[in-house]
Amino acid sequence: MRVTQSMLSNNFLKNISNSYEKMGKISEQMQTQKKITRPSDDPVVAMKGIAYRTSLTEVQQFKRNFSEAHNWLDNTDAALDQATKALQRIRELTVKAANGTLESDQREAVAKEIEQLRDQLKEIGNTQVGDKYLFNGTDTLNKPIGDIANNPSDVSNNSNSVKLELSKGVYIEVNSTDVFNKDLFEGLNKLVDDLKSGNDQVDLNDSIVDIDKSINHIINERATVGARSNRIDLMEDRIDQQEINATKMMSKNEDVDMEKVITDLITQEAVQRASLGMGARIIQPTLLDFLR
Amino acid sequence: MFSTFHGLETAKRGMNTQQSALYVTGQNISNANTLGYTRQRVNFEASPAYPAASMNRPQIPGQMGTGVQAGSIQRVRESFIDQQYRGENNKFGYWSTKAESLAKLEDIMNEPSDSGLAATLGQFWQSLQDLSVNPENDGARSVVLQRGQAVAETFHYLSSSMKEVKKDLGNEINVSIRNINSILEQIGNVNKQISEIEPHGYIPNDLYDERDRLVDELSSYVNIKIETTKSGGNPSSIAEGIYNIKMIDENGQETSLIDGSKFGKITEIDEETSLGQLNIIGSDNSSNNLSFDKIAKGKLSGLIESFGYLENGNGTEKGIYPEMLKQLNDLASTFITKFNEQHVKGWTLDGNQGEEFFGGSNAEDIKVLITSNENIAAAGSKDSVAGDGKNAIDLANVQSTANITSKYQSIIGKLGVDAQQANRLTANSGNLLQSVDERRQSVSAVSIDEEFINMIKYQQAYNASARNITIVDEMLDKIINGMGLGGR
Repeated sequence: MRVTQSMLSNNFLKNISNSYEKMGKISEQMQTQKKITRPSDDPVVAMKGIAYRTSLTEVQQFKRNFSEAHNWLDNTDAALDQATKALQRIRELTVKAANGTLESDQREAVAKEIEQLRDQLKEIGNTQVGDKYLFNGTDTLNKPIGDIANNPSDVSNNSNSVKLELSKGVYIEVNSTDVFNKDLFEGLNKLVDDLKSGNDQVDLNDSIVDIDKSINHIINERATVGARSNRIDLMEDRIDQQEINATKMMSKNEDVDMEKVITDLITQEAVQRASLGMGARIIQPTLLDFLR
Repeated sequence: MFSTFHGLETAKRGMNTQQSALYVTGQNISNANTLGYTRQRVNFEASPAYPAASMNRPQIPGQMGTGVQAGSIQRVRESFIDQQYRGENNKFGYWSTKAESLAKLEDIMNEPSDSGLAATLGQFWQSLQDLSVNPENDGARSVVLQRGQAVAETFHYLSSSMKEVKKDLGNEINVSIRNINSILEQIGNVNKQISEIEPHGYIPNDLYDERDRLVDELSSYVNIKIETTKSGGNPSSIAEGIYNIKMIDENGQETSLIDGSKFGKITEIDEETSLGQLNIIGSDNSSNNLSFDKIAKGKLSGLIESFGYLENGNGTEKGIYPEMLKQLNDLASTFITKFNEQHVKGWTLDGNQGEEFFGGSNAEDIKVLITSNENIAAAGSKDSVAGDGKNAIDLANVQSTANITSKYQSIIGKLGVDAQQANRLTANSGNLLQSVDERRQSVSAVSIDEEFINMIKYQQAYNASARNITIVDEMLDKIINGMGLGGR
């Protein structure tokens, strides 16, 4: 083929600009650390990228939900622990009073202490974490227990469960309901009244049975909370693993392979140098230079 | 007998002819870098021998050559390669235009990234999850409203950016039409000039170059076919004649754009209303309406396919931008409907039934209707709703239940595949174009070295002719001054 200078220089220009374009692509990959910057670079990577990002956001969101679930359960457990202790003390006092060996002023004192413990149970029932009341079902902005000293039935019976989504489609109940109920406070008020009545023949055994029931109820609830807590821990482990996997998948899908990019860069640099070198050579002296 | 000065005349012709060849060489060298210039060559031919055969020819043995003359000055060019070049240029024009508008679309969609629609929807989804965990929290509610706003704004942004580019494309169509019309007029004028020169037997090489350059340019816009007709009068046998140019549509239908010095034109479109057809005024003044989807491949059809057109002139709107806008609107519409459907199932903080969260029905007019935080229906049931985030979870899940993500994913996937194909075909047709151009250059481009060699050749021949004159001169000197002096 007949080749002319202008053909050589045009080709040179074209090649050198192609080479620069490739350099540009590589430097873009270096800077962004991503294989692709637009869907047409690799539509499959782009599509998968969207899916992986979505699942990663999901996983990260679930992780965020976990801390809230722990918040609920840990605080509930602590409250139930205190409630158990208070009830056990009440039981101790009641058993002592039931012996019939106490003077009336001693019974009065026991009644006073039980009153205090009852109020403490009320406070525990009104436990608030942040702006939430833990023991009022979904009615988290209102105190569940009112002035039970005068009106023992002033106890909310909202038993709607608060459920959090902790992984795709799995809803975990995080609140405990029906722990500090009307019966508990009515029972305690009756006990106090009985103790204050001055009649030391009053049979307190019913009260003891009631208190035992309440203690059992709370212990059962604690067990449930503990079991849930365990389950959540397990789920959290799994979600952590999922996060690692999702991140890994995403990275594999769209992050650059540094070794490859650096190799590409070096190769391209060599091509670039060669092209430039060639450019310097094709601008040769013409025949004229030899015709002196 | 030959004339006394026959030898002088022969040598003079030689000098003249070599000189003209040297001038053409100079012209070639000067235009070595001129776009569209074709190297020229002097076709040498022996001048008519003496005597010419005739009744009263002198009775001499044999014919005597009378030297050389420049028969013609011709472009060195292959019209077959031109035809190939124009075919490839046409495809390249089509694909590069499409690739460019798809690239703009990719820029607008900006995926995959942390700021595209997918990311914005993701953040909205997250804010709903946060709300489900803390439904009584005013901050969480505010975030939901803000993120909802961001989703609406992202839809607006995408929609309005696409419309902007679509409008630019409409402008570009008219700019292209103006270019085409200008090229047609220029070719018509060049044709006219050629038709005035050729009858005299001249070869207007520079006009041919200009005309071919214009035709090359025209070929990138529309699919054309060239037929040539001879000029009248007494044209040279190597005269290239007049170009008649026809535009060919998808069905092979031809419309004459150039007929000698007469040229047609394309009527500019109204970007707002005209989506149906292109009006072409043929060179014979006929008015032809060509439906947009019948325009054969080329830059013009690439632009139209990006801008949009009505199928069969009146059907549904097709094209890269209108279809993308439609997909985006459909996505927005599904999103609005499904989200609202779920939102009205929930209960607000005040225990009221949820109202519609989003207003509008497409990407353009989507807006957040809820104005106060309490009115977000996060609760799943009517009573004691503060801590009930059931509906917020369901709202967050609308994204997957209504397939918003996967629909969006397929939109981006299709865009990617389309753009990738356009890029690939642009590169392919670009390569083919380049290799055809190279072949054309191989034939027609000026090689400086070659011209220098010619220069030496012509100079030496010129010198030799001059030298020949000296010899003839010496011979004449002998005849005039050296003869007839016998015995003196």
